[in-house]
Order: sequence, then structure tokens, then C-alpha cells
Amino acid sequence: MMEIHENQILTSEEGEILQEIMNIAFGKSAADLADVIDTHVVLSIPFIKIMQVTELPMYIREHVKDYKKISIVEQNFWGRFKGDALLVFSSGSGKELIAMLQHGPGEISSFESDPIDILERETLMEVGNILIGACVGKLAELLKDVVTYTPPMVVVERYYTDALSERQFDVDKTAIVLKTDFSFTEGNVSGFLFLVTNNDSIKWLKEALRIFIEQYE
Amino acid sequence: MIKKLLIVDDSPIARKMLKSCLPKDQGFEFYEACDGKDGVEKYLSIRPDITFMDLTMPVMTGYEAIEEIMKHDKNALIIVVTADVQMKAITTVLDLGAYMVLRKPLKKEDLLAAIMKAQDTLQKVQ
Repeated sequence: MMEIHENQILTSEEGEILQEIMNIAFGKSAADLADVIDTHVVLSIPFIKIMQVTELPMYIREHVKDYKKISIVEQNFWGRFKGDALLVFSSGSGKELIAMLQHGPGEISSFESDPIDILERETLMEVGNILIGACVGKLAELLKDVVTYTPPMVVVERYYTDALSERQFDVDKTAIVLKTDFSFTEGNVSGFLFLVTNNDSIKWLKEALRIFIEQYE
Repeated sequence: MIKKLLIVDDSPIARKMLKSCLPKDQGFEFYEACDGKDGVEKYLSIRPDITFMDLTMPVMTGYEAIEEIMKHDKNALIIVVTADVQMKAITTVLDLGAYMVLRKPLKKEDLLAAIMKAQDTLQKVQ
């Protein structure tokens, strides 16, 4: 499940520990969201990849290209573990989520006085906040860290090439990408969560992973 | 007496974490499987007293593996150990015949309590 960069930034055991922690963290996110929306989030096996930051836009594009249009919720987080969380939703997810929050899949009728794009933006922001906050928060908690977040930023229903081309990433840095894809059993909602951290966090991360697994030695 | 324990999880770290939560002086025999299909095959050949089952796995999910094992042995004691603690996941596995559900990351006391409960159940069945 894990591809190791030639510089061996993380050993295979560290990668496996991080993958298991990500699995637990996204499980917490899904349960928190299921408390708010009456749906079951189908979880996948998290995937970890290490790459140069400059390769990141292409990597993300490859994963979301089937969606054509996407919505993105993004939050930066920082503690000793710091990085960027990108939650990418498939086209139409915002409207589906509005319906699910109100009545059930496919129905949108209340809040008719609100323009749909504002409602869509706020819904994506709220759902994104729950998923990202619970996942990153649990991940940090398991690694004995505390993180704070920037307010979520939302891009609604843009062609994936446009939505991603504006993104600026630091060059000459290495990214650890934790990817989880998800789908909902109710409503046509799916997407990816990417957590991107860079080599500023690596030293701390390696030590935190060692302390985490030490409890189980 | 509970002796043979089968741990089905695609993560070697998760299997290691589970084993480390169990006392070393109880004479448990550990068997491991890396996905649901491997789990079913090992179950049928080993006939463990307790099977610890993850849900999100490649090749065959934990849901499918539970269903398959229960077809062969309706008294199988399967303890689901999962990060997926959504109500739907819990009710589904219990409906399929799982004995109980434990949340990841495991707590030693929860695991020991589960084994003691399984021990009582096993004695009643026997």
C-alpha cells in the first residue's frame, strides 16, 4: 500500500503505522458525519505516497479526472504535525448533501429563499469541516499532538483542471500524501481526502510514530 | 478454554497491536490472516476459538468473510475490531452473526473483557 521514496523518508514500518493511524482517524470522521447525515460512509483502505511537492497537482488530477467537475474544501492545519487537507467531492455532491441534510437524497425544497450556490458552499464547508476536523484531530490525538486549523476554503463545481491549476505548492519539498477515497451509500456523493504534509514535519512524525507503536511493543 | 486466536487484518501493525494487548502467560496460540479470503481459509483449517476480524480489507472484506464463516459454523465467535464505528457498520456485522464489535485503537481492558465474555459463551455452548 505504500510507495517509499528513494531517500527512505519513512521506513516501511513507519508507513504501515501511519496507514493504520489514518485508517482509525478517517473511521472517526465517518462516524461523526454519520451522526449528522443519515448515511453510511463507505471507507477504503488508506494509501500513503511520498513524492516531490511539484508532482502533487498531477497526482491529484489523475485521481479526480473522472469527476470532470469537482468541489474542494481545503483547510491548513498546524501543530507539530502540519500540512494541508484537501477534501475533493464529485460533481453534484453539494446539492446531494443539501438534500440529505434536509429530507433525504434527491429532495431540495426548504431554504428556498437562499440562493442555491450559497447554501451549497455552506453545506460543503460544514461537511468538509466535520470530515477534515475529525480525521486530522484524531490523527493528531493519536500522535499526542494538538493542531489548529485555518477556516475552510471552498471551491464549488469547477472543472478539475481549473480547480487544481491555481494551486501553489512549494517547490523542492517532499510531500507525504495520505489519501482516502470514500462514497456514501445514500445519495450520489463520493470523493477523496488528501492530507499533504511536508518534510518540515518529518522529524517529529518519525519520533511520534515510534512513541505510538512503543505502547504496543 | 480459549486457546486458538485468529487475527484477520490486512495491516501487520494492527495485528501486532492486537497481540500486544493480550497477556503473554495464557498460552494463546496466534494465527494471522492478511485479508478476508485468507481469514476464511485459515478459519476452516484452524477452527480458532475466537476470530478477530477487521472490516476494510482488500480481496475480501470483513463483512463477506463473516458471512462466509457463519455459513460453515454458526457458532463461530467473531469479534470485529474496526475503525469503522458507524452505527450502520455495527448493526450490519451483528446481523451477520458477529459476536461483538471493538473499536480501534484497541484498549487492553476492552479486549480482555471481550475474551472473558467469549470464554463464558464458549463454556455455555460446550
